[in-house]
Amino acid sequence: MTDHLHTIKAAVIGGRHGEIKGLVQQALDAGLDPAAIINDALIAAMDVVGKDFGDGKIFVPEMLVSAVTMKAGLDVVKPCLTGGESQSRGTVIMATVKGDLHDIGKNLVSMMLEGAGFKVMDLGTDLSVDKLIDQVKTIQPDILGLSALLTTTMPEMQNVIGALKAQGLRDKVKVLVGGAPVDRVFAEKIGADGYGANAAEAVELARRLTGAKA
Amino acid sequence: MKLNAHNLVMSAMFGGRRGPRPAVGNPTSIACHGLMEKAGVFFPEAHLDAQAMAALALAGHEIVGFDTVMPEYSVVQEAAALGAQVDWGDRDKMPDVKGFPNADFSAILMPQDFLEKPSCRVVLDAIGILRRQVGGRVAIIGKVMGPWTLAYHMAGTQNFLLAVGMGESAKVTRMLRQLMPVTIAFINAQFAAGADIVVLADHATRNLVGPHHYKEYLLPIHQEIMAQVGGPIILHVCGNCADRLELFAESGVDAYHFEWQVDAREAVRRLGGRLSLAGNINNAQTLLQGTPEDVFRQTRYAIDAGVHLIGPECAIPLSTPLENLRAIVAAGHEGYR
Ligand code: B12
Repeated sequence: MTDHLHTIKAAVIGGRHGEIKGLVQQALDAGLDPAAIINDALIAAMDVVGKDFGDGKIFVPEMLVSAVTMKAGLDVVKPCLTGGESQSRGTVIMATVKGDLHDIGKNLVSMMLEGAGFKVMDLGTDLSVDKLIDQVKTIQPDILGLSALLTTTMPEMQNVIGALKAQGLRDKVKVLVGGAPVDRVFAEKIGADGYGANAAEAVELARRLTGAKA
Repeated sequence: MKLNAHNLVMSAMFGGRRGPRPAVGNPTSIACHGLMEKAGVFFPEAHLDAQAMAALALAGHEIVGFDTVMPEYSVVQEAAALGAQVDWGDRDKMPDVKGFPNADFSAILMPQDFLEKPSCRVVLDAIGILRRQVGGRVAIIGKVMGPWTLAYHMAGTQNFLLAVGMGESAKVTRMLRQLMPVTIAFINAQFAAGADIVVLADHATRNLVGPHHYKEYLLPIHQEIMAQVGGPIILHVCGNCADRLELFAESGVDAYHFEWQVDAREAVRRLGGRLSLAGNINNAQTLLQGTPEDVFRQTRYAIDAGVHLIGPECAIPLSTPLENLRAIVAAGHEGYR
């Protein structure tokens, strides 16, 4: 990896939000490939951050600052992407289900997906089945990402999938689920297309599920 | 133990003697649908009406057999009084804060009539009712949010934690210091209204922040709160806090209310000499989804480990079966081995 990429990656991991724009600009000026800056530095850094969070080495405040730093870096690179590269990898709707207000994890997933080149429509929290179905019809996303942090709101995910089926929309959109109490077993049981334990996994999954487009 | 007249006298009265069985208590809510039906009182009335609030708390003693009554089921009573926009929910939904008045970290001033705001008054009145009904027979527990939790409500959790991460310590400390008098005033008012014990709930949990954050920002504030309140205080911080138990002991609180994720034996070994331990029965797996036998077994483990006040680890899910709460009481009544 070049020094530039290495420095950018370290800045995101360290949450050095004040420096990131300058570092990314230097890398661009040095002629580095914008796509490499995104994938091998900005996103790669968040993979490390996600893992450190999972291992209990860092906590939410540090993770949020890294995410903000990544976003600031992205803002500098994005305008430099050329035709093919700047095309979205796909559209994602992100939402926390009805009755649930927890959104920190969902917001991180949204930021990471955006960083990875997806067009993300974050609908917020406490989204009813009807509202979600409505939005799926209007936006026609490739992926619907659902977050739930309460055991009491997990069943809402199943309700959403049921409603997608009833409306004949189930094969038009991939459903990703996540949130602390959710696991792979539950995801399979309710017929979701994938489960991600953290934001980095969410990106991998989204890439895989939209494979044709990536 | 804080060295004040009340605590010294209470300690002298019991002289370190304990009864034949551990106390069964709930520092946080044990309101569930089963209990609401038995008491004939439901959410949201139980958050808003003092009679209803007290009746539901009393049911925890009369119907389930807990040795405590704790009449506060939400975590937003103070935030509502400070001007946060609260949705009081319904039978199936806990109250939530909807709008954050201080997302911009603007100054928070405690209103002169803070204790008279309906969402505070209702708790104080409910404690008074319980005092008249069971004072001296059943331990009355009050509950107050600490400055860290209040900051989540007033500024928004993510927003507040981002400021912490950004190292904006002046901003963070200012907000915590502005909220500290709120916590102190409400704790002292709950003691004055008749509480025997007050829970200080402050969610600096490992799921969100590290021990270094607690030590830097919150420990000094907790120490100052302890200097300005009387009576026994139980600290509640949920999540796996095994990485910061000793810091909690440094705060000066009398007891720590902890989750199943922290092994009871380890907690007693590390803290038992310095403060009392409360709670420990797992909510999500055992109380909500387990059988009464599972609950009984886990409770016995905690008792044998030396946990002093046995009960759920945190506010229980609303669909928790009543039989499972009763199993905690049954295990407690088996006494010490
Ligand atoms: C912060 C927090 C709050 C904040 C929320 C602030 C906010 N804006 O989000 C506040 C204080 C408001 C709150 C309120 C409540 N909370 Co709360 N809360 C938490 C806490 C401590 C941390 C959650 C968090 O943000 N974690 C950090 C993020 C980064 O992790 P994450 O959300 O898991 O997300 C990661 C992954 O799961 C994944 N992911 C997340 N979403 C998605 C989606 C997709 C598609 C994918 C692929 C991946 C993915 O990627 C993320 C990044 O790595 C948890 C404890 C815990 N164990 O999680 C309790 C917890 C979730 N809360 C709980 C409870 C009970 C409540 C309340 C009911 C409390 C009450 N009595 O009023 C209310 C409910 C409000 C409501 N209706 O939603 C319980 C839930 C118990 C249960 N199993 O049902 C928990 C587990 C605490 C506990 N031990 O009891 N809470």
